[in-house]
Amino acid sequence: MTAEPPSPSLKDLEARLGRLRERAGLEKEGKEERGGNQPKAQGSAMGAGLRAGVELLAGVGVGGALGWFLDGWLGTRPFLMLLFFALGAAAGMLNVYRMARAMNAPDEKTD
Amino acid sequence: MAEAHNPLEQFQIKRLVPLEVAGVDVSFTNSALWMVGAITVATALMVIGMRRQALVPGRLQSVAEMLYEFVANMLQENVGRAGMVYFPFIFTLFMFVLFSNLLGMVPYSFTPTSHVVVTFAMAAVVFVGVTVIGFARHGLRYLKLFAPEGAPIWILPLLVPIEVMSYFIRPISLSVRLFANMMAGHTMLKVFGGFVVTLGIFAGWIPLAFLALFTGFEIAIAFIQAFIFSVLTCIYLNDAINMHH
Repeated sequence: MTAEPPSPSLKDLEARLGRLRERAGLEKEGKEERGGNQPKAQGSAMGAGLRAGVELLAGVGVGGALGWFLDGWLGTRPFLMLLFFALGAAAGMLNVYRMARAMNAPDEKTD
Repeated sequence: MAEAHNPLEQFQIKRLVPLEVAGVDVSFTNSALWMVGAITVATALMVIGMRRQALVPGRLQSVAEMLYEFVANMLQENVGRAGMVYFPFIFTLFMFVLFSNLLGMVPYSFTPTSHVVVTFAMAAVVFVGVTVIGFARHGLRYLKLFAPEGAPIWILPLLVPIEVMSYFIRPISLSVRLFANMMAGHTMLKVFGGFVVTLGIFAGWIPLAFLALFTGFEIAIAFIQAFIFSVLTCIYLNDAINMHH
């Protein structure tokens, strides 16, 4: 599983992939440059919609629950929950914003 | 079949082979049975499909090749070549979710992915794995993920908590999305199935038509959700490997 850091076996695999690629003459440098840094979240619009909704909901839910739990632990009943609720909502929106930006990424270069 | 059916009954876990190890219930359940089924079907498809590695692929072989290429392209596009070492993991994840979803469409079957425990277990592995990879590749610099470059220093006290939250939301949204979609879809099918029975021979055709439509829709959802689950894993992996927002 991925739960382990790049161990010798993963490095092995990397080397083997490289050797195979060289042998097959598949050194597509240009393609690799493009692949790396810009996450291009493609896929259907429906998939994107389903993703965005849950992202917002999870933000509020996780924030509220975490705040409520911390409140019970520290005895500051309403305050931390309110704070984390707002933070969670902001985080959810941030995730959706990132997703939307990644979808537009192929055309325009953002920061 | 005529009596009222509880639409949530299909999600009940049943012990098939009761087992207990050191006081922990590790029974072999119907959920486990269908997980084994999903793995068996996925493995069989790949092994049998690729048995005669023909230059011009037959039906099974082209399905196997299509699945392989689909995941390989997804990984290449979202993470780049550095991510290809994680292909086996992503491919396993994709195939497992896909076939759990698809086998769940078989009447009288059980959908393991309609339970949060299952989806959260997978999401947790992804979350922990990605975090470990991030720290292994970048060391403490990985923490810079929470403080975007170019942000003014006075805004950091607000920004860092939000970034940390958005990082920890990942496993929740990843698991909730899959399980909620599967559960909602299957419940809806069952409810409409109940309508067909109660409305009888005269008006029952209307929900039956909907049911046929939703079944096709639900099969599409099975694919889309498997795709979303693995594409998000790829995006998180990209953050860990290339550290770019």
